[in-house]
Amino acid sequence: MKNIKFIITLFLVVSFSTLSVAQQRKADKDTAAWRYEIEAVQTGVQGTYLIKVWSYSKKPDVAIDQAKKNAIHGIIFKGFTGISGVPGQSPLANSLNLEDEKADFFKPFFKDGGDYMKYVSLSNDGAVAAEDRMKMGKEYKIGVIVAVNITNLRKDLEKAGVIKSLSSGF
Amino acid sequence: MKKILLITIIFLNAVLTVNAQAKKPTIMVVPSDVWCNQRGYMLDFDNQGTYVQVPDYKRALQENAALLIVISKINELMASRGFPLKNLESVLKSLDGEAAEDAMLTSKKTGSNIVESPIDKLKKVAKADIVMQIFWNVNQMGPKQSVTFNIQGLDSYTDKQVAGASGTGQELIGSTLPVMLETAVLSHIDNFNVQLMSHFDDLFANGREISLRIKKFDAFPNDFETEYAGEELGTQIENWVQKNTVKGRFSTTDATENMMLFEQVRIPLFDASGKAIDARAWAKGLQKHLKDTYKIEAKLMTKGLGQASIVVGEK
Repeated sequence: MKNIKFIITLFLVVSFSTLSVAQQRKADKDTAAWRYEIEAVQTGVQGTYLIKVWSYSKKPDVAIDQAKKNAIHGIIFKGFTGISGVPGQSPLANSLNLEDEKADFFKPFFKDGGDYMKYVSLSNDGAVAAEDRMKMGKEYKIGVIVAVNITNLRKDLEKAGVIKSLSSGF
Repeated sequence: MKKILLITIIFLNAVLTVNAQAKKPTIMVVPSDVWCNQRGYMLDFDNQGTYVQVPDYKRALQENAALLIVISKINELMASRGFPLKNLESVLKSLDGEAAEDAMLTSKKTGSNIVESPIDKLKKVAKADIVMQIFWNVNQMGPKQSVTFNIQGLDSYTDKQVAGASGTGQELIGSTLPVMLETAVLSHIDNFNVQLMSHFDDLFANGREISLRIKKFDAFPNDFETEYAGEELGTQIENWVQKNTVKGRFSTTDATENMMLFEQVRIPLFDASGKAIDARAWAKGLQKHLKDTYKIEAKLMTKGLGQASIVVGEK
């Protein structure tokens, strides 16, 4: 009897963790496929961008976690649109193919717990406003406000030779 | 032995090319003429009978604290991007100090004064290769205030806008002007820098854009329609410019028997030996070509990195 209980518990734990990993993988695929939206919230304090990232997942928690990755991905490759009174910003990358050209850098950078985490923090501890949590068919669309340390991100990418600095060549 | 020598030369050449750094343009923030005019910071100036108004930067900097905050914030943000700017206030002070020193300076033996031509005097103004012209206006809507902010990056030699950012900030109640201005600068500076970066990328890919004026002194007995080696002098000059520009890119904007104006002249950033060059170094080539090939003396004058004037006839 004890053995059966143990096997069932083990089965549930393994199923649950497999499901989480699958969800996370799906979220990573969405990020790579640019399946997220970013908009300005307000002008951040010096050296930061305050943005709202809309991510998709069947599990709200995964979407909230993925918001950090999406925020950095978006700021590097996509830029974001503005709202009334707050201008959008262009991407840091000046080439559309930068992600493929510098794949050796970006793959470890964007892995779970990768260096991208250094530059982003959730605003309000990741609390999501009711109007920013939308059920769309089988999945959720979650809007999370994050602050990105753009100064350090830009400096580190410049140092790594991934993007050019303003004064390069002079 | 020859092989070793050849390899050494190739290696040194490669090192020189890799280490070569183009001449860095200077950038300075100045308030726009409209901003100065709206706040009364203008000087009346009689230009040979014509009444003109010019911005009085010195008074604006001494009396308007908000201007100082904006300039200082932009300078700070640009320095953090590895591109420190020339500071308008310091430049004006340096010019004043230099003028006072020049007035007092005499040589030890004969007591000679400093020589300064009218052209030298005209050139003694605050200048930079790229001018960041700023303007803002505070909009009042009942208790709400917002700031409309505009930055333009203007190339001093081609008169082109190479970068820009503008917009109106959020309407706020009870916010102070310095805070709103700081927010406006933070909102727009990155977009401005993206465009500035594109301008620099274009400069590295297609060469520095300069303008070249060719004039003649009275004393020169010929003109640009006189034939030299089977072609008009003007055509010979155009041929030289064609050969010495990146992909032969230039426009002959004006050409008469007495003057020529070349614009959008794309000069290489480095000469054949890998040395960084500007409009002066490049135009010296034309000056030398005129002297060596056609025995024509010419005077060369330049303004910063991107404007050259050659006056043929004498020096």
